[in-house]
Amino acid sequence: MIQKKICMLGGFAVGKTSLVRRFVSNVFSDQYQTTIGVTVEKKCVTVASQEIMMVLWDLYGEDEFQHVRDLYLRGSSGYIVVMDGTRKDTLQTALALQQTAANTVGPVPFVSIINKADMRSEWEIDEHVIEQLRDRSWTVLFGSAKLGQGVDELFLNLATQMVQRPPLSNTHP
Amino acid sequence: MSSDSGRSLPNSPTSEGFTSREEDWTQLRTLLLAPEQTQLDELRERLDHRMVHSQEVSQVLPEAIAIRGVGDQQLSNALTPYVENGFIAAVRKSPRAIVDAIAPIMGPAIRQAIARALQSMTQSLNRSLDESLSIRGLRWRLEAWRTGRPFAEVVLVHTLRYRVEQVFLIHRETGLLLHHVATDAAVVQDQHVISGMLTAIQDYVRDSFGASPDQTLDQVEVGEWTVWIEQGSQAYLACVIRGTPPASLREDVHDALAHIHALHANALADFAGDATPFKATQPYLESCLLAHYERPPKQGALKGWILIGLIVLGVVWWGWMAYQAQSRWSHLLDRLREEPGIVITQARSMWGDYHIEGLRDPLAKAPTALVIEAGLNPATVKMEWAPFYALDAPLVLARAQSILRPPESVQFHIEGGILVATGSASPDWAREAKRLAVLVPGISQYRDDGLVTASISALLDRINRTVIHFPSGSSTVEPSERVALDTVAAILRELDQLVSQSSQRVHLEVLGWTDATGPPARNLQLSQERAEAVVAVLREKRLDKAATVVLGSVRPLDQGGSNQESANQRVATLRATLTAQGQDSQTADP
Repeated sequence: MIQKKICMLGGFAVGKTSLVRRFVSNVFSDQYQTTIGVTVEKKCVTVASQEIMMVLWDLYGEDEFQHVRDLYLRGSSGYIVVMDGTRKDTLQTALALQQTAANTVGPVPFVSIINKADMRSEWEIDEHVIEQLRDRSWTVLFGSAKLGQGVDELFLNLATQMVQRPPLSNTHP
Repeated sequence: MSSDSGRSLPNSPTSEGFTSREEDWTQLRTLLLAPEQTQLDELRERLDHRMVHSQEVSQVLPEAIAIRGVGDQQLSNALTPYVENGFIAAVRKSPRAIVDAIAPIMGPAIRQAIARALQSMTQSLNRSLDESLSIRGLRWRLEAWRTGRPFAEVVLVHTLRYRVEQVFLIHRETGLLLHHVATDAAVVQDQHVISGMLTAIQDYVRDSFGASPDQTLDQVEVGEWTVWIEQGSQAYLACVIRGTPPASLREDVHDALAHIHALHANALADFAGDATPFKATQPYLESCLLAHYERPPKQGALKGWILIGLIVLGVVWWGWMAYQAQSRWSHLLDRLREEPGIVITQARSMWGDYHIEGLRDPLAKAPTALVIEAGLNPATVKMEWAPFYALDAPLVLARAQSILRPPESVQFHIEGGILVATGSASPDWAREAKRLAVLVPGISQYRDDGLVTASISALLDRINRTVIHFPSGSSTVEPSERVALDTVAAILRELDQLVSQSSQRVHLEVLGWTDATGPPARNLQLSQERAEAVVAVLREKRLDKAATVVLGSVRPLDQGGSNQESANQRVATLRATLTAQGQDSQTADP
């Protein structure tokens, strides 16, 4: 078994913690609880007959007052960028965070997800924008932590990418 | 091209020309195509003979495996089942060889594990035995019962100075767990999450306080636990310690981490999530699992027992003394209650001081004597007595005696509140007694029916008429005559009582007599002997104080008396008189 550090990135209240809890414990709570600092969870998955322990660092949500420090990103083997489909501003935050992550940990695999698919009618992020993201070679998935849709796929997708890519040297710029 | 040339050769027109041309062609072909032909033969040889192919593969196989192994895990995944099957087959085929191979590794490991388990068991057994029977142990049992915690945990909390319960070796950059060891007693949560959180907490603290990377979080304290973090360049050690560890433990942890860095420098630098190589760090991490228990000094325990013994002895002695004092006190109260003329109205004791209040007849026995008799110190017993007249018969009698002052010849006794006087007394006393008796408290009536009253002169007369007879020629008082002397003695005592108040004394003169027969000198001597004999008898009755007894003169023989008369002269006679200052005041002659 190999262990991998994975960071959850995204604006505040996009559903990072909800996705992690749905993935790890298969539970969901409507009550919003802001994450202070970091919460660490773990789950083991098997991808391509390779067992992986995903150690998930659920970071606090970034907003105009609090910027995610690169300190927490160090040593990540992959990361997940979460957006809230109903708030267009979370897209800008996601782009900025991805840039920070790429600068800190280098070209490691990452997956992005537009959460709250259960409220599709209220989405502000449209197909055009999503296409632009995919043009930038982003993997963009849709999901709902509330309904449990697309959650396992999200993490397994990242795990698969990490297995396929030869391990990088941990030295980064 | 060469094959085309070859195919055109058999088309020659003549046999001779054909042969020579054939040879030429062969020569030419050999000259031109010899290297290619050799290569062609070799290739055919390779295709036809696999052995040759394997040999060449064997030359590149190690490199090939190494290159592929670096690329990804697929080679390992592909080989794992075959390696497993091969190993199983090998074990089945010759287990002995496997045993021989692993024995040098497994033997010490098993011995070490068993030794550690035994040591741990012995330690806990010793501690349990030590603590089960002591006062402290009982107190801890009580605490365990009260708080609902296991006894072992309560003992641990009280005796443990420190114990390293878990050691985490954590990759510094990723926060991933490299290796983890824990004691049997430790409660281990998810160590992977803990190692991630420990790293995150350090990052968080550093981020929050704007610390530089070399400023690190070294210690976290949570309740009974302390987490020590020892930083290394690539990895850090986190020790979960229960209790208060000594500073020297830091050095041990630091040494262990330094060894790990030295031995696993490459593995640490290349770490990409596979923690397998770090299983070899187990001994170093275990070397950090130290513990120190507080052992109560034996001497202290002995002192404690002696102290407890002394306290118990003291309590027993105090209890015994208190019991004895209480017994004496009860005994005193019983005795006082029994005693006539004493009534207790209030009695209390407090810390060795006693207080009694009550009524006491002045004629009753002194209470202090009873206190001493009961064994108590009179100084500790305070008594307050109010005087009163008791109606108990002995006290009424004593009171009558003290007030009426009867002569010795008078006896008193009480019959249901009636004072009865018997014996003999002077008429004066009898009259006075009759008047005073009914005034004595406790006496309702006075009866003196049995009291004989007589005058002094009548009594003197009775003595003077007494005659003691002797046989002829004898001066021995016959037993029959002694009765008369007894009466004389009683009268003398009575007289003595009667005259005692008038400062007079009774004077008794004894006279001896003889008959006319025999020589006068002999008779004179005999008469003297008879008088002395009577005096001797009276003296036996101890009348010295009652009367002055003197030997009287010896009367000469009366001349011319008859025999009958002569017989009557063999006597001793008495003459009692009252004297004042040695002089006769009253004489009664027979």
